Amino acid sequence: MILPQFEYRRARSVADAVALYKKEKGKALYLAGGTDLIPLVKLRLQAPKAVIDLKGIEDLRIIASRGGSLSVGANVTLFDLKKDPVIAAHFPVLIESLEATACETLQMRGTLGGNILQGTRCLEYNQSLEWRKARGFCLKTGGKECNVVRGAKTCFANYCSDNAPSLISLGAQLRFTGPGGERTVKLESLFTGDARTPFAMEGGEVLTHILIPLKKTKGAYEKLRVRESMDYPLVGAAVSVIDGKARVCVGGVGGAPRLYVIGDIRDAAAVRDVAEKASADAKPVANATVSPVYRKKMVGTLVKRAVRRALAEGKR
Amino acid sequence: MKDDLNIVGKRVVRSDSLAKVTGEARYTADLTFPGMLVAKVLRSPYPHAKIVGIDVSKALKVPGVKAAVSGFDSYGVKWGVFRYTQDHAMLHTDKVRYIGEDVAAVAAVDEETAMEALSRIKVDYEPLPAVFDPFESMKDGAPQIHEQYKNNINIHINIDVGEVDRAMEKAYLVREDTFKAAGEAYAMMEPYAVVASFKNGYLDLYMPNAGPHVRAKALSNMLKLPLNRVRIRHINSGGAFGGRSEVAPGDLVASLLAIKSGRPVKLVLSREENATSSRQVHDIIATIKTGMKKDGTILAKDYKVIYDGGAYSSTGPIATSIPFYVYEECYRFPNVRYNGYRVFTNKGIRGMYGCHGRAFLAGNEAQMDVMAKELGLDPVDVRLKNGLKSGEMTATKSKITSCGLKETIMTASEKTNFRKRWAKPSRLKGVGMGCVAIMCGFPMGFRSGSSCYVKINDDGQVTLVTGLVDNGQGNESMVIQVASEVLGVPMADINLVNADTEVTNLDPGAYSQAAAFVGANAVRVACENAREKIVAIAAEKLKVKVKDVGLKDGSAYSLKNPDKKMPISWVVREAFFRGEPITGTGSFFPNIDFEREWVTRPWGQMAGTFSFGTSIAEVNIDGETGKITMPRFTSAHDCGRAINPMAVEGQMEGSIQQAGVAAITEGNLWDGGYLLNPNLLEYKVPLACDMPDMDTIIVSSRDPAGPFGAKEGGLTVRMNAYSAVACAVANATGELFSELPLTPDRVMKMLERKKGVKG
Ligand SMILES: Cc1cc2nc3c(=O)[nH]c(=O)nc-3n(C[C@@H](O)[C@@H](O)[C@H](O)COP(=O)(O)OP(=O)(O)OC[C@H]3O[C@@H](n4cnc5c(N)ncnc54)[C@H](O)[C@@H]3O)c2cc1C
Ligand code: SF4
Repeated sequence: MILPQFEYRRARSVADAVALYKKEKGKALYLAGGTDLIPLVKLRLQAPKAVIDLKGIEDLRIIASRGGSLSVGANVTLFDLKKDPVIAAHFPVLIESLEATACETLQMRGTLGGNILQGTRCLEYNQSLEWRKARGFCLKTGGKECNVVRGAKTCFANYCSDNAPSLISLGAQLRFTGPGGERTVKLESLFTGDARTPFAMEGGEVLTHILIPLKKTKGAYEKLRVRESMDYPLVGAAVSVIDGKARVCVGGVGGAPRLYVIGDIRDAAAVRDVAEKASADAKPVANATVSPVYRKKMVGTLVKRAVRRALAEGKR
Repeated sequence: MKDDLNIVGKRVVRSDSLAKVTGEARYTADLTFPGMLVAKVLRSPYPHAKIVGIDVSKALKVPGVKAAVSGFDSYGVKWGVFRYTQDHAMLHTDKVRYIGEDVAAVAAVDEETAMEALSRIKVDYEPLPAVFDPFESMKDGAPQIHEQYKNNINIHINIDVGEVDRAMEKAYLVREDTFKAAGEAYAMMEPYAVVASFKNGYLDLYMPNAGPHVRAKALSNMLKLPLNRVRIRHINSGGAFGGRSEVAPGDLVASLLAIKSGRPVKLVLSREENATSSRQVHDIIATIKTGMKKDGTILAKDYKVIYDGGAYSSTGPIATSIPFYVYEECYRFPNVRYNGYRVFTNKGIRGMYGCHGRAFLAGNEAQMDVMAKELGLDPVDVRLKNGLKSGEMTATKSKITSCGLKETIMTASEKTNFRKRWAKPSRLKGVGMGCVAIMCGFPMGFRSGSSCYVKINDDGQVTLVTGLVDNGQGNESMVIQVASEVLGVPMADINLVNADTEVTNLDPGAYSQAAAFVGANAVRVACENAREKIVAIAAEKLKVKVKDVGLKDGSAYSLKNPDKKMPISWVVREAFFRGEPITGTGSFFPNIDFEREWVTRPWGQMAGTFSFGTSIAEVNIDGETGKITMPRFTSAHDCGRAINPMAVEGQMEGSIQQAGVAAITEGNLWDGGYLLNPNLLEYKVPLACDMPDMDTIIVSSRDPAGPFGAKEGGLTVRMNAYSAVACAVANATGELFSELPLTPDRVMKMLERKKGVKG
């Protein structure tokens, strides 16, 4: 499948990127590693008039500690992050989710910013234009109803970032710069809850940094997949423990990750309750390669397992 | 048989390895010709629809478009392997029968122009009701996919040997189970590709294929060109696994476009098109009833197997039969009834697959273990007891002439400590064994044999000419090795001209496992004939007896006094002087009963010989998620003799992946007629990290008719590895599988079912 025509622009700074975006009158998309974007463009799921490459922006490639936080530039690759000693010493959950992301080749190209801002996925959505035309467009592609759940007016596409749940469990924040200025938000508030347009972002906003509170944590990430590499999560569960308090985040099911807090991680009943609640909250549908009933069940199973491993300091 | 071999049996580097690892080897997509155009195909968005009209005139107006075709530009000749299965016109004027079916096509100066032109083609359809489930399809009143097949039953194979019903009554233990398996994708590394060029009335085609001669014949029929005007040329092939055996719609499309435009045309399918619109593998539902004596002897088998055949006949009767035959070639069935139905549905075109029949074969083997357990028997003993031996006949009257089944069972089970571990599986860990036999070649009429021409050049180098095909498994290297052995010339000094219909003779092709047994045999005979001529002159010149002449490293020498020698090139030059250059022809035609017919006379000698194999899988199941991991896989294969053990091991390892590990990952997913995973992300071919440690064991049975005793190199593993996995899962869980692949959700269901029984 060949790419359609688009303009290629290279930004030298964040301000430059925003300016280019304005010049293209909003018909542009930012490009980092391109591992999520380019397949979408090939499938004609995105049709940018121009693509603004952020890779050359030095500032977005820096990892630094700043005021009690570790600030990770959005362009840092997953692979570099995985090899970072500060990350390894403080955030075991993130090391595990980075390691579980796609495969190492992709980790060398894909960035953390792109990983967080990747599109939601569905077996009936990530298909070629010919395929989707034959099928009839669904809600997410401009049709009247969902093709997986007939008659539904909701989209159930899955947000499949492995690292966003980990970062949410760590209490990470995002820093944006856009046409309207700068802002910082908690990662969990980035999500709209609508899988068609999963992110609450203004047009032209550049994700510049991911800020993670720089504290030692215990943690674990559990990922369900059919093959041991490459595959997106069918369910992902991240747990981070700070001072006995656990933040649990579930991804891979539906348009937004879901956060749960356990006051005392050693309280077995509380853990069980959260696992059950997480499983009850998850509304998987038949848009991934294994059955939805099973995925729903696995939400609870993986939460419990992640907690168990977080307490056992990572042992599998 | 002589055993003092120099080259055959050695772990030699394949003749094609260097070109392939350096990227020098050319594949179809690499080809460019002056003025070559790019083709694109417009595909049906409907699973079943009447074609009211196709208008390509607007497409032709797009600048850069040089030709456009539809069914109205072809003769409408319908293709089928058999006279009674000719139902596939490949480009249609009446109706389309699956989503992704070829409807029209364009050839343009580049891909973008071609895509633009496709969007200008206007097709008027009248949608028809469609059917996707074979059981629905067989019902009265279901949409009729082809007029001539009642209830959409394409093929019914009925085999009835002995007295099944009476034997079932006499059996001590009878069990009936139904097993399902999703069809697989061939997922060859190289997607479908073809380059066609038409000049001076000759059509030249380059495409990866498993049999150029049958391909040329089919195309000459469809294009109404004399056979000699259709020339299929040699090109490397990036894998086939059965998916390139038959003529494809793209062959016709590219040919028509080349004829119309007068320019070479290249068509390369995308990964998605390769999955939806080149061939697919049959989904299968197998109901298996087995009657056993108390001592584990199989008394009777009663089968009903449904094959979801997609929209056209394809290899219909063969596909409907093969799973049964490879099983009856392995075990003794005094009473057996097989009812195989191939049923049309509005899904993609389907063909044979190297791993064809997993629901049937894994079902049989897993059920056998459950019955053995119930009878307090060991599965190894049950297999040994029922396994065929050399000299025996199969239920449908094929004689087994060499058989290493017992050795494969014994070595594999001893190496894995199978008996002990099977009897006492630790929690959620299991071992399982699968056995099978494979015919080496099957009846293909006068195309069942192969022949070879060899000439020795004036520099002592050799040129072999044979119709033999290599789909990546190493057949080319294999025949070079055989020739090297016979002629005493190093492999590097042998050139091969093969699989080119203009220069090479008929050959069964790279399917039906005939390349070693038939193709290499013909090469051996041709080389032996040339050898005789070399030896005669050398004996004269060296002044020794003919029987005392040896050939090695490009020289002829006295066996008694090896210092007495001369280069073969001198012999050749002498032969030129005498006006009798050294050449040889040779052919091999297997002992097959040609009265045999798949539907009307399903008995008689099926093939010249049979290979045998046993696989043992070890599985661990995660009790919380149902996920299976495979720490170790052991396969023992009776290949007669391994011409190149390294190549045979490679085939066995590939088979462990494609059949064994795939049994827990691979399967096509459908939403009605829409293939949900036409890509390599959601269609899950096992990755390196999913692979077990592998132990591949070669068992030699030295077939009396095979070249140096060889039969075939590794296919048994492709047809028993999933059985081993299914049996291991049964051993670990105490439950029989009901559907492949054994993805974690299905395994979890098995575990829950088990708990339910207990509680
Ligand atoms: C085969 C395959 C398997 C995969 N498996 C996994 C997996 O297992 N787990 C997983 O989590 N992911 C997986 N991915 C998704 C993979 O694309 C991401 O993990 C990767 O990190 C994305 O980073 P990128 O830099 O390539 O993003 P890009 O493709 O460049 O960008 C992704 C999106 O983010 C936007 N964007 C990027 N950077 C910025 C920025 N700084 N500001 C504003 N917008 C921005 C882009 O416009 C685009 O919409 C897989 C992808 C492939 C192709
Ligand atoms: S869940 Fe439904 S609406 Fe959303 S992408 Fe899939 S088919 Fe479309």
